[in-house]
Amino acid sequence: MDGCQSTEGDLHVVAAAHHIVKALGATKNLTDDLRKILIDLDTHLSMITSNTDSGGGRGFVDVEEQLKQAERKILSWESDPTMIWDSGPREASEYLEAVYEIQTLVDGLRRLSVHENRKQKELLHRATSVLQTAMSRLEEELIHVLVQHRQLFEPKHMSSRSTRRVVVYDDSFVSVDDEPAKETSSRNCPSDEIGEYIVDLVRADVIPDIKSIAKVMFTSNYGPEFCEAFIGVRKEALEQYSAILETEELGIEDVLKMEWTSMSSKMNKWTWSMKIIVQVYLASEKRLCDLVLGDFGSVSSFCFLEISKATILCLLNFGEAIAMGPHQPEKLLRLLDMYETLADLLRDIDTLFSEEASSFVRLQFHVLLERFGVSSIAAFEAFQVAISSNGSLYPFPGGGVHPLNKYVMNYISMLPEYCNTLNLLLKDQHVDVADQVTDPDNGPNLSLSTSCPMSCHLRSITSSLESNLYRKSQLYKDEALQHIFLMNNIHYLVQKVKGSELRLFFGDEWIRKHNGKFQQHANNYERATWSSVICFLKDDNPGSSPVLKSTFKEQCRGFSIAFEEVYKTQTSWCIPDPQLREDLRISTSLKVVLAYRTFLGRNPAHIEDKCVKHTVEHVEKQLLDLFEGSPRSLRNSRRW
Amino acid sequence: MNANEYQGSFLGRISIRRNQVVVMDAIHEQELEDIELFQKHVSDRFSELSSPSDDDAVLSISWLCKLLDVFLCCEAEFEAILLMDRDPYQLSKPPFDRLIPELLDRAVKALDICNAVTNGVESVRHCQKLAEIAISALDQKPIGDGEVKRAKRALSTLMAAINLDDKDGTNAKSTERSWSFGRRSGNKDRVAGQFRSLSWQVAKNWSAAKQIQSTIYNLVAPRGAEASGLPSPIYTMNVIMIFVMWALVAAIPCQERTGLPTHFPVPKQLNWAHSLIGLQEKIADEWKKKEKKGMAGLLDEMQRMEKSAQSLIDFTDSFQFPGDAEKLQEAAGHVAELTEICRIMEQGLTPLQMHIREVFHRIVRSRTEFLDVLEKASLPVI
Repeated sequence: MDGCQSTEGDLHVVAAAHHIVKALGATKNLTDDLRKILIDLDTHLSMITSNTDSGGGRGFVDVEEQLKQAERKILSWESDPTMIWDSGPREASEYLEAVYEIQTLVDGLRRLSVHENRKQKELLHRATSVLQTAMSRLEEELIHVLVQHRQLFEPKHMSSRSTRRVVVYDDSFVSVDDEPAKETSSRNCPSDEIGEYIVDLVRADVIPDIKSIAKVMFTSNYGPEFCEAFIGVRKEALEQYSAILETEELGIEDVLKMEWTSMSSKMNKWTWSMKIIVQVYLASEKRLCDLVLGDFGSVSSFCFLEISKATILCLLNFGEAIAMGPHQPEKLLRLLDMYETLADLLRDIDTLFSEEASSFVRLQFHVLLERFGVSSIAAFEAFQVAISSNGSLYPFPGGGVHPLNKYVMNYISMLPEYCNTLNLLLKDQHVDVADQVTDPDNGPNLSLSTSCPMSCHLRSITSSLESNLYRKSQLYKDEALQHIFLMNNIHYLVQKVKGSELRLFFGDEWIRKHNGKFQQHANNYERATWSSVICFLKDDNPGSSPVLKSTFKEQCRGFSIAFEEVYKTQTSWCIPDPQLREDLRISTSLKVVLAYRTFLGRNPAHIEDKCVKHTVEHVEKQLLDLFEGSPRSLRNSRRW
Repeated sequence: MNANEYQGSFLGRISIRRNQVVVMDAIHEQELEDIELFQKHVSDRFSELSSPSDDDAVLSISWLCKLLDVFLCCEAEFEAILLMDRDPYQLSKPPFDRLIPELLDRAVKALDICNAVTNGVESVRHCQKLAEIAISALDQKPIGDGEVKRAKRALSTLMAAINLDDKDGTNAKSTERSWSFGRRSGNKDRVAGQFRSLSWQVAKNWSAAKQIQSTIYNLVAPRGAEASGLPSPIYTMNVIMIFVMWALVAAIPCQERTGLPTHFPVPKQLNWAHSLIGLQEKIADEWKKKEKKGMAGLLDEMQRMEKSAQSLIDFTDSFQFPGDAEKLQEAAGHVAELTEICRIMEQGLTPLQMHIREVFHRIVRSRTEFLDVLEKASLPVI
């Protein structure tokens, strides 16, 4: 077209076409695209009908007129204190229309720029200047809209969906020899799937506005400015949200120096924050980017990456620092939480960061997951080592349940929660399975069988614990107390297993076997204590004539002294479990009382003697004082 | 073994002493050889770094990548010497019971620096994006007020980012950012780029300068008998690690670099350290020169970008349509320079971050290895 002389006929055609375009342009309900095309055509047609004289002709007058109009519109807003997009949709769309006009003019003028046409150059210059002003303004409008209409959702609101809380043992392992502290805090269960939960981070009804700004800016090649502004606002919004969640930015050095209570709560917080940020916030942010920038190819994912990068990497960094830390056994549960959280989120992460450019994010997640796995295994092993190496210098007073026992059993009773994860992690770990059990009852669910990796390790742990308890029992001088101690502790072990999900992993046979064990110790106790006492009541010559008084007296005295001795000593012993205590008392009572009654019965003549210090009922009653945990001594009472 | 053979060399100094040792420990000798070789390699590698080609000006992106590679090579050799076929118990005895934990402490500090620097690269990338806007504006023919305004806006943001007082980085993360920014006060030059809050991803009180300072603290060259044994490569590795971190912090913007130490207490007589010390002094001089006015770091490309950007800002300030031909030509030159820099950045920043990441992972792994060895050494007999 350029440079060719238009014939009369051509000019008529063009004029007609021009007329049609103008008519069409006046209709309502034109889409932006259609309008743009018409404006474009209009401009071209204007230029075709222009004179080729230098100095501009009639056609350029049209162009100049269009430019003036659009320019007026755009510049009029520059002195206006209000924001365009606050002033209603009509104002906004009029403004956009003006911008499109300018844009088209610029495009058209540029295409004709082969001519050294002064007028044309002037117009182009003017147009680009106006365009720049408009773009600058649009940037501010964009930011205003984004900030004005953002929506923050309450994180508490999210947490109400995870109602099931599990109590977690929060103690540091080193405090085992003291009173075990109260069980504190709680954790989110990984099975509490928050799931992807998309919210509107910006009010849905302004999305079209943002899109229209995006469109006009991108069409004018001002995409980079749009992205800068958009990323800046969204990034700050995310950071504000992180601040609400109290995700701190901590250096690795700081994390490594942290003491346990503090670290434990931060690990907990991390677990929770990760879920919310990835599954809710980032999912919503991605959707926002897609909505706004979906038409512009990879720009959408680029912006999303830029917005989310820093926060995600910060969270990952904390994870790295934790994984690098010393492998203390008390960390195990929290580490497993973190592991499971990451494992759950992997799919979300892979979806959110699916492009090539964001592959490093995915990679870091996978690497971190692996590290958590390694750390968990190390913590688990440290747990086992700590059990074995927990030594005592002095026997545990009273022979009751040792704190080590309580700690370990309470701790491992939490582990079935993590059964799937632990089975996965412990799969290739060697374990000395001392208590091989063959449970015929291996149901269809293999992971619950007593031969899964976790079961083997659990049994190994209790086996270590038992060995340790056995060593501790050797510290008692009194053999009977040794047996009481072991009876108490193994009984506790069994009760813990029976009373929790652990029973599924230990199996019935293990339980049976250990029931037998503590029973055995009970028997041993009785033998150790009472055989010698009852010895005094023995009848050396059954069937012979009644015993001499002196012998009777001796026997009586011997029995009394022995009994009182036992009473004095063993009232301070402890059998914490009431049922066990009762059972042992009954069993003891049966033996002792029976022997005594028989003894007295054999020598009816001497019953009135004052050497008989205790009645049968008395003995019976005293036996009930045993194992109360507080020492008592018998006062001699002649109660008849 | 003729003492004269090794006259003046590192080995020569100890061979005299060795003649006094009754028992020749073959393993010990091998170790000494390894150490010597290690230090020779260090010397060679840093010597190479000191004489860069045109493409690799000191503290350019590609030079930094090379530096990080040097670190990785040295570290690998170091680890081999220290850990391979080593009785763990040996490393738990003095002086290693002090030297190794110190080394590992420094390693942890280095990790935080790696993170900070990786972030810093992000802000360099941001500058690149801004520069690209300016380029696309000024590449238009003909250049008019519109293009000039556009370029100026982008360049002003760029310069603001470059001259950002490092401290401001911490304030940028305010939760109550006021968005009105004097909108209607006619301040049209408010630039969009300031909206990009530069969160440093490190704790608020963290300071790169202090971190470097604390790594240098207690760094003492081994003397006497220690200088001829394992303490020597440990010291060498410490110095290398500190130098690399220091160079990264000097080059790349990260939080709070005021007060960056410029002096390393490395004795000049150590053979292997000559090139390293030379480099360090050179970089330190540059740092001292530029320290007064805030700057985004000594990164070669950033320095060049700053120059070109400033020139272009001057151009935009004095521009009047249709523009002076000579000035336009000059501007075009700067634009070309800027384009080249952006190209280098586009190609080089991601690999740089990947290098830093690799160093990070290597330090983590190495630290774990050392800790495992120490644990073995200290495992109590149950």
